[in-house]
Amino acid sequence: MEQQKWVLENPTLGIIFVAASFVAFYFIGWYSAKAAKSSTDYWTAGRNIGALANGLGMASSFMSLATFMGVTALILKLKVPFVYMWIQFALSIPLITLWYGTPLRRMGAYTPAHFVRERYGLSTSYVTVIFMILVMLMYALGQMIGVAKVFEMLFGINYTVALVCGGALIVGYVAIGGMYGTSYNAAFQMVLMGIAFIVPLGAIMKAMGGTGWYFPPLLYADMVPAMLEAVPDFFDMKFGFKWYFSLIPCFTIGAMGLPHLGMRIYTSKNLKSARGAMVWFTFFCGIVFSATYTMGFSGVFFQATSGTTIIPSDYDKITLILNSVFNPPWVLAFVIAGAIAAGLSTISANLMAIGALISQDIIATIKPNLSDKTMQVIGYSAITGGGIVAILIALNPPTFLVVSILWAFGLAGVTMAPLVIMGVWWKQANRYGASAAAIISGLTYIAVSPYLFPDFTIAGGLQAKLGMSGALLCVPLTFLILTVVSMITDKIPALMARIPHEEDKRLVDSIHGWADYDEERYNSTRAGIIVAAVSLFFVIWAIMPGGWTA
Amino acid sequence: MNSAYKKEIRYTIGFSLLLLLCGHSGLFFVAFPGLRDAMILGFPSQYCIPVALGWLGLMVVVVIQAKLTNDLDDEIEAVTSTNTTSTTKG
Repeated sequence: MEQQKWVLENPTLGIIFVAASFVAFYFIGWYSAKAAKSSTDYWTAGRNIGALANGLGMASSFMSLATFMGVTALILKLKVPFVYMWIQFALSIPLITLWYGTPLRRMGAYTPAHFVRERYGLSTSYVTVIFMILVMLMYALGQMIGVAKVFEMLFGINYTVALVCGGALIVGYVAIGGMYGTSYNAAFQMVLMGIAFIVPLGAIMKAMGGTGWYFPPLLYADMVPAMLEAVPDFFDMKFGFKWYFSLIPCFTIGAMGLPHLGMRIYTSKNLKSARGAMVWFTFFCGIVFSATYTMGFSGVFFQATSGTTIIPSDYDKITLILNSVFNPPWVLAFVIAGAIAAGLSTISANLMAIGALISQDIIATIKPNLSDKTMQVIGYSAITGGGIVAILIALNPPTFLVVSILWAFGLAGVTMAPLVIMGVWWKQANRYGASAAAIISGLTYIAVSPYLFPDFTIAGGLQAKLGMSGALLCVPLTFLILTVVSMITDKIPALMARIPHEEDKRLVDSIHGWADYDEERYNSTRAGIIVAAVSLFFVIWAIMPGGWTA
Repeated sequence: MNSAYKKEIRYTIGFSLLLLLCGHSGLFFVAFPGLRDAMILGFPSQYCIPVALGWLGLMVVVVIQAKLTNDLDDEIEAVTSTNTTSTTKG
């Protein structure tokens, strides 16, 4: 048994491939940005991206550095429960499209917070914008640190230099390209990372004797016995029903609240194109997600059949290790370029969201009469500023911000998704309900996390660290507060006279495509009571002890 | 209340349930342990079915979802233009 830490032996080819990919990213960003004639074009790519490019872009926003580096390690650590957690991320775009993507595209929104502003007013939108910037920053930070570590490994430089250089390169191409550049780059990056992940995986499987090498995402049943021998409990369920159920509020509804995913839908040419993009997203997302499970299996199969032991701290490098063993050096270099592309596609989407939130949802509301040219300069500055903040935090990241990117999903699910969903589908949702729900539930979610008060959590352990127990309580709590406060304040004429509730209700009909107004549409009190009752049930269930372990 | 509106509500709830079923089919194996460990295509059922439904099953649902919701948009547009025309004439 040989057991040693893996190192990249010959980084030259990797450096050449990564440099070439950056040249391509900058060229695509610069060239496609020429189509942007206004700040609206800059943030929405002129609402002109086709279904295939948009579907690739949507999928690439979801493929992060983790696809190449972290997922395989987590598969081996958490086993089948992690696979369950990963599978459901593919629901994000179909659910966003179904529940609010197309209505907000019809409205002409820049970000989900833009809709919150139109529907619930400025104060509520500022609350959600602050939460969203925090979520995007946490998300971008993890990727920035990952890219810096790959640069550190590749160039043999220290972490700080790698971070500053890598970060500056990333921020530069995002700011130059705007949403046009980001969208076309994301499509290109998805193709690059898809090929870099799946084709070499087929070669690895063939070299190891796998019979399903010609379609790695699904045909690896012959590795199952090796997996069972090496990791006998791989297919065990381990956790209780509550653990699996909490994936829905934390990650499924959480992903629905992520602004950078919703923003992809607003770049579509039209609603049919947005739905076409959703279909392409599901295809590309599914094929790469499935291939990551195969990569985890291949890592175990390799250890079981070759006698080589990969040390646990190298589990996140299984993709690179397998490629270094079974494929020529230029393929490994290509895979590294694919990993960098995966990290970049996510950071660029995060930075675009941060930039749009700052410039469109904060500055443009404070100073609504700024010229288009000034807004474009503010746009560049907002993206660059967001990037610089992410780099500075990544220099010495606080533990709280890097412990779990997945925790940020729950925060988006608590503070954004319910407000948008109810705002689009229920006219009785009003500004008082939305503000109270976002503030109370958002702060409760932070308070019950183990990062603030370690002894004050809903359930300790992994489920608390990932935000699952907090989301199981706080997502329904948001729905509950929103519906109950809205229904109560609706009966207080003095309060209702202070808000333009009739205009807010008309917005609901118009974003669903109705040219005429009908008071009865999307206005069921019974529906509000049902949502409140179901939410109350889940709030009580979340607080009750037990149910997290098998 | 016209049928396009009712259809919109039905589609949204119906497709949400189908999407959740595809993405969270693992819940059935947690709730009903008897379903586990039957081998399907060389994989244990609690692994094979969630992975297959989470990609291929989901593909089928979103294709149908895209088709029906596109048709519904056309229907809402038709209803709206009819209402607008009759209001103008009336």
